[in-house]
Amino acid sequence: MVAILLILHGLVAAALLGATTHQAMSVLRRGARRGGSFLDRYAGVRAQGFTVAIVLLYVVNVCLGAVLYPSYRLNVRVPLEEMSMAWAIGLFELKEHLGGIGLGLLPLYAYTWRPEVAETHRRDRIALTMILVVIVWWNFLVGHVVNNIRGLP
Amino acid sequence: MIESRLASPVFTVAFCCTYALVFALNWPLFLYYPLHGDFVWGWRVLQGQGPAIVWYGFMADAVIAGLVASVCLPSRAVASRLRNYLWLFPCAAMVVCVFLLRHFFI
Repeated sequence: MVAILLILHGLVAAALLGATTHQAMSVLRRGARRGGSFLDRYAGVRAQGFTVAIVLLYVVNVCLGAVLYPSYRLNVRVPLEEMSMAWAIGLFELKEHLGGIGLGLLPLYAYTWRPEVAETHRRDRIALTMILVVIVWWNFLVGHVVNNIRGLP
Repeated sequence: MIESRLASPVFTVAFCCTYALVFALNWPLFLYYPLHGDFVWGWRVLQGQGPAIVWYGFMADAVIAGLVASVCLPSRAVASRLRNYLWLFPCAAMVVCVFLLRHFFI
Protein backbone atom coordinates (compact mmCIF):
# COMPACT_ATOMS: atom_id res chain seq x y z
CA MET A 1 0.00 0.00 0.00
CA VAL A 2 2.82 2.41 0.93
CA ALA A 3 4.60 1.67 -2.37
CA ILE A 4 1.43 2.40 -4.38
CA LEU A 5 0.86 5.66 -2.53
CA LEU A 6 4.51 6.65 -3.00
CA ILE A 7 4.32 6.03 -6.76
CA LEU A 8 1.08 8.04 -6.91
CA HIS A 9 2.76 10.81 -4.88
CA GLY A 10 5.60 10.89 -7.43
CA LEU A 11 3.27 10.88 -10.45
CA VAL A 12 1.13 13.73 -9.09
CA ALA A 13 4.35 15.62 -8.26
CA ALA A 14 5.54 15.19 -11.86
CA ALA A 15 2.23 16.53 -13.22
CA LEU A 16 2.41 19.44 -10.76
CA LEU A 17 5.99 20.15 -11.77
CA GLY A 18 4.95 20.36 -15.42
CA ALA A 19 1.96 22.59 -14.76
CA THR A 20 3.76 25.04 -12.44
CA THR A 21 6.81 25.26 -14.73
CA HIS A 22 4.62 25.92 -17.79
CA GLN A 23 2.75 28.65 -15.94
CA ALA A 24 5.92 30.22 -14.53
CA MET A 25 7.60 30.27 -17.96
CA SER A 26 4.48 31.82 -19.45
CA VAL A 27 4.50 34.54 -16.77
CA LEU A 28 8.22 35.26 -17.27
CA ARG A 29 8.03 35.32 -21.08
CA ARG A 30 4.86 37.36 -21.53
CA GLY A 31 5.48 38.17 -25.17
CA ALA A 32 6.11 34.56 -26.20
CA ARG A 33 4.48 33.54 -29.49
CA ARG A 34 3.18 30.08 -30.26
CA GLY A 35 5.10 29.77 -33.53
CA GLY A 36 8.54 30.89 -32.27
CA SER A 37 11.40 28.94 -30.70
CA PHE A 38 10.94 25.88 -28.48
CA LEU A 39 10.99 28.10 -25.38
CA ASP A 40 8.44 30.44 -26.97
CA ARG A 41 6.16 27.52 -27.75
CA TYR A 42 6.69 26.10 -24.22
CA ALA A 43 5.83 29.48 -22.67
CA GLY A 44 3.12 30.39 -25.16
CA VAL A 45 0.24 28.90 -23.19
CA ARG A 46 -2.73 30.52 -21.50
CA ALA A 47 -1.24 30.70 -18.00
CA GLN A 48 -4.52 31.31 -16.23
CA GLY A 49 -5.87 27.97 -17.44
CA PHE A 50 -3.36 26.12 -15.23
CA THR A 51 -4.46 27.69 -11.93
CA VAL A 52 -7.28 25.32 -10.96
CA ALA A 53 -5.27 22.26 -12.02
CA ILE A 54 -2.27 23.43 -9.98
CA VAL A 55 -4.39 24.05 -6.88
CA LEU A 56 -6.07 20.64 -7.14
CA LEU A 57 -2.81 18.77 -7.85
CA TYR A 58 -1.06 20.54 -4.99
CA VAL A 59 -3.80 19.74 -2.47
CA VAL A 60 -3.93 16.09 -3.59
CA ASN A 61 -0.15 15.80 -3.36
CA VAL A 62 0.08 17.32 0.12
CA CYS A 63 -2.66 14.92 1.26
CA LEU A 64 -0.72 11.96 -0.19
CA GLY A 65 2.44 13.23 1.51
CA ALA A 66 0.62 13.61 4.82
CA VAL A 67 -0.64 10.01 4.59
CA LEU A 68 2.88 8.74 3.84
CA TYR A 69 4.53 10.90 6.50
CA PRO A 70 4.13 8.51 9.49
CA SER A 71 5.88 5.79 7.50
CA TYR A 72 8.76 8.19 6.77
CA ARG A 73 8.93 9.23 10.43
CA LEU A 74 9.21 5.64 11.65
CA ASN A 75 11.10 3.86 8.87
CA VAL A 76 13.31 6.49 7.23
CA ARG A 77 14.03 9.31 9.66
CA VAL A 78 15.09 7.06 12.54
CA PRO A 79 17.71 5.23 10.40
CA LEU A 80 18.90 8.58 9.01
CA GLU A 81 19.42 9.76 12.62
CA GLU A 82 21.34 6.57 13.38
CA MET A 83 23.51 7.19 10.30
CA SER A 84 24.13 10.79 11.51
CA MET A 85 22.77 12.19 8.25
CA ALA A 86 21.49 15.44 9.74
CA TRP A 87 21.69 17.24 6.37
CA ALA A 88 19.28 14.73 4.79
CA ILE A 89 16.86 15.10 7.71
CA GLY A 90 17.17 18.89 7.40
CA LEU A 91 16.40 18.79 3.68
CA PHE A 92 13.27 16.75 4.34
CA GLU A 93 12.24 18.98 7.28
CA LEU A 94 12.49 21.95 4.94
CA LYS A 95 10.44 20.05 2.34
CA GLU A 96 7.61 19.42 4.79
CA HIS A 97 7.52 23.02 6.06
CA LEU A 98 7.72 24.55 2.58
CA GLY A 99 5.01 22.11 1.47
CA GLY A 100 2.80 23.33 4.31
CA ILE A 101 3.42 27.00 3.52
CA GLY A 102 2.71 26.24 -0.15
CA LEU A 103 -0.65 24.81 0.85
CA GLY A 104 -1.39 27.96 2.84
CA LEU A 105 -0.50 30.30 -0.03
CA LEU A 106 -2.87 28.59 -2.50
CA PRO A 107 -5.91 30.76 -1.61
CA LEU A 108 -3.89 33.93 -2.25
CA TYR A 109 -2.38 32.42 -5.40
CA ALA A 110 -5.88 31.57 -6.70
CA TYR A 111 -7.05 35.09 -5.80
CA THR A 112 -4.26 36.81 -7.71
CA TRP A 113 -5.04 34.78 -10.84
CA ARG A 114 -8.66 35.99 -10.94
CA PRO A 115 -9.26 38.16 -14.04
CA GLU A 116 -10.70 41.11 -12.06
CA VAL A 117 -7.44 41.57 -10.07
CA ALA A 118 -5.10 40.71 -12.94
CA GLU A 119 -3.73 44.23 -13.28
CA THR A 120 -3.95 45.46 -9.66
CA HIS A 121 -2.13 42.43 -8.18
CA ARG A 122 0.33 41.80 -10.99
CA ARG A 123 3.45 41.78 -8.79
CA ASP A 124 1.77 39.48 -6.23
CA ARG A 125 0.73 37.09 -9.00
CA ILE A 126 4.21 36.87 -10.52
CA ALA A 127 5.96 36.50 -7.13
CA LEU A 128 3.52 33.86 -5.83
CA THR A 129 3.78 31.85 -9.05
CA MET A 130 7.58 31.88 -8.69
CA ILE A 131 7.43 30.95 -4.98
CA LEU A 132 5.11 28.05 -5.79
CA VAL A 133 7.32 26.76 -8.59
CA VAL A 134 10.38 26.94 -6.30
CA ILE A 135 8.53 24.99 -3.59
CA VAL A 136 7.34 22.33 -6.07
CA TRP A 137 10.83 21.86 -7.58
CA TRP A 138 12.49 21.78 -4.14
CA ASN A 139 10.03 19.22 -2.80
CA PHE A 140 10.32 17.06 -5.92
CA LEU A 141 14.13 17.00 -5.86
CA VAL A 142 14.47 16.50 -2.09
CA GLY A 143 11.88 13.73 -2.15
CA HIS A 144 13.94 11.92 -4.77
CA VAL A 145 17.27 12.47 -2.99
CA VAL A 146 15.98 11.23 0.39
CA ASN A 147 14.19 8.30 -1.27
CA ASN A 148 17.47 7.36 -2.96
CA ILE A 149 19.29 7.41 0.41
CA ARG A 150 16.62 5.30 2.07
CA GLY A 151 13.25 4.52 0.54
CA LEU A 152 10.00 3.70 2.28
CA PRO A 153 9.56 -0.03 2.94
CA MET B 1 -19.48 33.04 -3.00
CA ILE B 2 -17.73 29.78 -2.15
CA GLU B 3 -15.03 30.54 -4.70
CA SER B 4 -14.48 34.02 -3.26
CA ARG B 5 -14.19 32.53 0.25
CA LEU B 6 -11.67 29.94 -0.91
CA ALA B 7 -9.61 32.49 -2.85
CA SER B 8 -8.96 34.54 0.27
CA PRO B 9 -5.81 36.66 0.68
CA VAL B 10 -6.57 36.99 4.42
CA PHE B 11 -6.37 33.21 4.85
CA THR B 12 -2.84 33.13 3.45
CA VAL B 13 -1.65 36.13 5.50
CA ALA B 14 -2.98 34.63 8.76
CA PHE B 15 -1.80 31.13 7.82
CA CYS B 16 1.78 32.23 7.11
CA CYS B 17 2.07 34.43 10.21
CA THR B 18 0.66 31.69 12.46
CA TYR B 19 2.79 28.96 10.89
CA ALA B 20 6.02 30.91 11.42
CA LEU B 21 5.00 31.84 14.97
CA VAL B 22 3.99 28.36 16.16
CA PHE B 23 7.07 26.83 14.53
CA ALA B 24 9.36 29.37 16.22
CA LEU B 25 7.67 28.93 19.61
CA ASN B 26 7.10 25.17 19.21
CA TRP B 27 3.34 25.35 19.81
CA PRO B 28 1.71 22.51 17.86
CA LEU B 29 -2.00 22.06 18.50
CA PHE B 30 -1.34 18.36 19.03
CA LEU B 31 1.35 15.71 18.62
CA TYR B 32 0.76 12.46 16.78
CA TYR B 33 2.62 9.30 17.77
CA PRO B 34 2.46 7.05 14.70
CA LEU B 35 3.81 3.92 16.40
CA HIS B 36 0.56 3.32 18.28
CA GLY B 37 -1.60 5.99 16.63
CA ASP B 38 -1.89 8.20 19.73
CA PHE B 39 -2.80 11.92 19.72
CA VAL B 40 -1.95 14.26 22.61
CA TRP B 41 -2.87 17.93 22.93
CA GLY B 42 -0.08 20.48 22.85
CA TRP B 43 3.58 19.68 23.40
CA ARG B 44 3.40 16.65 25.70
CA VAL B 45 6.15 14.07 25.28
CA LEU B 46 5.03 10.49 25.93
CA GLN B 47 7.73 8.06 27.03
CA GLY B 48 8.00 4.74 25.21
CA GLN B 49 5.64 5.77 22.39
CA GLY B 50 8.29 6.24 19.71
CA PRO B 51 8.86 9.44 17.70
CA ALA B 52 6.18 12.11 17.51
CA ILE B 53 4.97 14.04 14.44
CA VAL B 54 4.75 17.79 15.10
CA TRP B 55 3.96 18.98 11.56
CA TYR B 56 0.28 17.98 11.67
CA GLY B 57 -0.10 20.13 14.81
CA PHE B 58 1.55 23.16 13.17
CA MET B 59 -0.68 22.77 10.11
CA ALA B 60 -3.80 22.52 12.28
CA ASP B 61 -2.81 25.72 14.13
CA ALA B 62 -2.23 27.63 10.89
CA VAL B 63 -5.36 26.36 9.11
CA ILE B 64 -7.59 27.27 12.07
CA ALA B 65 -6.05 30.76 12.31
CA GLY B 66 -6.46 31.21 8.54
CA LEU B 67 -10.11 30.12 8.56
CA VAL B 68 -10.98 32.33 11.54
CA ALA B 69 -9.25 35.34 9.93
CA SER B 70 -10.87 34.79 6.53
CA VAL B 71 -14.32 34.67 8.16
CA CYS B 72 -13.76 37.64 10.52
CA LEU B 73 -11.71 40.08 8.43
CA PRO B 74 -12.77 41.86 5.22
CA SER B 75 -10.75 40.07 2.56
CA ARG B 76 -11.11 42.72 -0.15
CA ALA B 77 -10.01 45.58 2.14
CA VAL B 78 -6.93 43.68 3.32
CA ALA B 79 -6.07 42.71 -0.26
CA SER B 80 -6.27 46.29 -1.52
CA ARG B 81 -4.34 47.71 1.45
CA LEU B 82 -1.50 45.18 1.09
CA ARG B 83 -1.67 45.16 -2.71
CA ASN B 84 1.54 43.91 -4.33
CA TYR B 85 3.11 43.20 -0.93
CA LEU B 86 1.01 40.11 -0.12
CA TRP B 87 3.68 37.78 -1.52
CA LEU B 88 6.04 38.89 1.25
CA PHE B 89 4.07 36.88 3.86
CA PRO B 90 4.74 33.37 2.46
CA CYS B 91 8.26 34.49 1.57
CA ALA B 92 8.92 35.61 5.16
CA ALA B 93 7.45 32.37 6.55
CA MET B 94 9.84 30.40 4.31
CA VAL B 95 12.82 32.45 5.50
CA VAL B 96 11.81 31.81 9.13
CA CYS B 97 11.66 28.05 8.44
CA VAL B 98 15.11 28.06 6.82
CA PHE B 99 16.51 30.02 9.77
CA LEU B 100 14.95 27.68 12.36
CA LEU B 101 16.30 24.60 10.54
CA ARG B 102 19.85 25.96 10.13
CA HIS B 103 21.19 23.65 12.86
CA PHE B 104 20.78 20.67 10.50
CA PHE B 105 23.31 22.16 8.08
CA ILE B 106 25.89 24.07 10.18
